[in-house]
Amino acid sequence: MAEAPLFKPKLKVGKPLFGILVFLMYVFLSAPLLIVFIVSFDSNQFLSFPPQGFTFKWYELLPKETTFMNGLRISLIVAPIVTLIVLLIGVPAALALDRFEFKAKGALQSFFLSPLLIPSIVLALGLVLLFSPLRLTNTYAGIVIGHVAITFPFVVRTTLMSLATSDTSCEAAARILGANSWTVFRRITLPIIQPGVIAGGVIAFIVSFDEAVISLFVAESGLPTLPVNVLRYVENQADAAVAALSVILILFSLVVVVIVERVMGLRKALR
Amino acid sequence: MNSTKLSIVDLTKRYAPGLEPAVDRLNMSVEEGHLVALLGPSGCGKTTTLRMVAGLMDPTSGSIVVDGKDITHTPVNKRGMGMVFQSYALFPHMDVAQNVAFGLQMRKVPAKEQAKRVAAALDMVQLGHLAKRKVRELSGGQQQRIALARALVVEPTLLLLDEPLSNLDAKLRETMRTEIRSIQQRTGATTLFVTHDQDEALDMADRIAVMNGGLIEQFGPPTEVYERPNTHFVANFIGQANFLTANVVSENGPATDGERYYKVDIEGLGTFGAVGHPGLTGTHELVIRPQRLQASLHAPLGANSITGTIERVSYTGDTLGFSVRAGERLLHAQLMTSSADMPRQGDTAHLSWEAADAYIIPKTPQGPAS
Ligand SMILES: Nc1ncnc2c1ncn2[C@@H]1O[C@H](COP(=O)(O)OP(=O)(O)OP(=O)(O)O)[C@@H](O)[C@H]1O
Ligand SMILES: [Mg+2]
Repeated sequence: MAEAPLFKPKLKVGKPLFGILVFLMYVFLSAPLLIVFIVSFDSNQFLSFPPQGFTFKWYELLPKETTFMNGLRISLIVAPIVTLIVLLIGVPAALALDRFEFKAKGALQSFFLSPLLIPSIVLALGLVLLFSPLRLTNTYAGIVIGHVAITFPFVVRTTLMSLATSDTSCEAAARILGANSWTVFRRITLPIIQPGVIAGGVIAFIVSFDEAVISLFVAESGLPTLPVNVLRYVENQADAAVAALSVILILFSLVVVVIVERVMGLRKALR
Repeated sequence: MNSTKLSIVDLTKRYAPGLEPAVDRLNMSVEEGHLVALLGPSGCGKTTTLRMVAGLMDPTSGSIVVDGKDITHTPVNKRGMGMVFQSYALFPHMDVAQNVAFGLQMRKVPAKEQAKRVAAALDMVQLGHLAKRKVRELSGGQQQRIALARALVVEPTLLLLDEPLSNLDAKLRETMRTEIRSIQQRTGATTLFVTHDQDEALDMADRIAVMNGGLIEQFGPPTEVYERPNTHFVANFIGQANFLTANVVSENGPATDGERYYKVDIEGLGTFGAVGHPGLTGTHELVIRPQRLQASLHAPLGANSITGTIERVSYTGDTLGFSVRAGERLLHAQLMTSSADMPRQGDTAHLSWEAADAYIIPKTPQGPAS
């Protein structure tokens, strides 16, 4: 038997049923996106469904809406910095976890991945309590630290996955051929784990760009990021400008993912 | 020639305090241009020894001397060695030529010379036409050759091979065996070769170090290790062997190579001729290779013969194997097949041997051997 499928429904009648189920799941998952897309062209003054007329005015309004533009500016400053910093500490951390044997390894591993399990509201509250006396609230440093904390596990995970499938004797071979530690890292290790590192970076960027809770707690008044301002906007006026913005953001994420996929295969990296 | 290239002195590795040492006060010296096989069962410390010589692992104690210089504490990237790994460890993100050039780049060889030497190395392994290929587009045998070219292109002080043939299929293994040996002889690279395959070691090596439990049981040329095993382990590990417990009765005069003929007594079977080191007394083990035992249906004229019943005959085409029961002992003999009348199962057969083919293992056995 060649190419056995990973998941195979046992009953013959199960096959069409299974197909329908998968289809429904896709519909369920993409329905919000679809609705947002439709609503963004709705001429009705308030957010509503079904739509009543067709217009581009919400898209035209976006550049003039200073709340969004300010938020976007702040988010576009924060996300790249977060990505850079989290890669700079996450990749070495993953390397250490994978390559060295030490006593606290297991404990450290779960500790590094723990932010995934803690509700961000708990983390956010903790950060505010910590940042206030340090005067870090409403600063870029504050937001960046918070975002690094929540994106760190992603980078560690994706890098660890790449490391797990890589052959450590490549590094040994390079060292024997005369390479020092830095050269080995730069010319051998990094290129080999590159897919995981890039995947981690992309996820970190998107998570930071999308994050609302920590940004809200840490810097609402001083440095509101885009998601924070979107929240505020929706609190005040419920028009479809938000939907238009969402469509732009979805397209933006899509473009990033497609580019990364084209360049080096994100799917392969995430596997 | 005949100068010592590598000396290993009392090399010991203990992975953790309290553990049995993986390598235990190992001593060995390798002549320039030789290929030495480290041969032994799984877990006997072959890889550990090789990695310490490469510098990938620090020894617990002891020293490694290359060309008269102690390199025990020289960092791995300053040792100038070449190594081929079991998994080949080719760099997956580089093409074949870049892989081979890596060591030269590290040595800051000018680009022009690099290109020349890479091309020469690839030609040596007959893969010049694959220079631009991606590594993952190569077959196992090709990867193996590229790994060899990458190790040799830097003209390494020592070539280290860790079971380089174990990932290849049987046919290719045989071809690569001859090829590696011929390349090694052409380049004159002093080579340490780890294997657990006795045929590989016997075929390729100038010297074999038979290892067991972190120790070298015997170090010598293939013929010596095979014909004159120092210990039961060596005789048993390399080739097939019949073991008989014998009491030395008397010395019977000189044999070749400074050895002596002996008269020995085997309990319940009588006295026989054997050969061994001078000055042996007491109880020893006798080893006789199956193909040195003559099996015949007629009692031979000579004295060294045992009579028994044939329990089993195994036919492989080239050879015929017999299991002969003599009392509680089961002996194995091997003959070349011929069209002549051959003994059959159930026949009474006489097994005989030349005194020079029954070797007395110099070390006394630990307990009563079977
Ligand atoms: N990193 C390690 N930590 C602890 N013990 C180890 C380690 N590596 C090897 N050992 C032990 O040291 C001994 C020798 O191992 P080594 O890998 O040198 O054996 P080997 O002769 O190469 O075996 P094989 O033919 O299976 O490759 C073994 O008992 C092994 O369990
Ligand atoms: Mg090994």
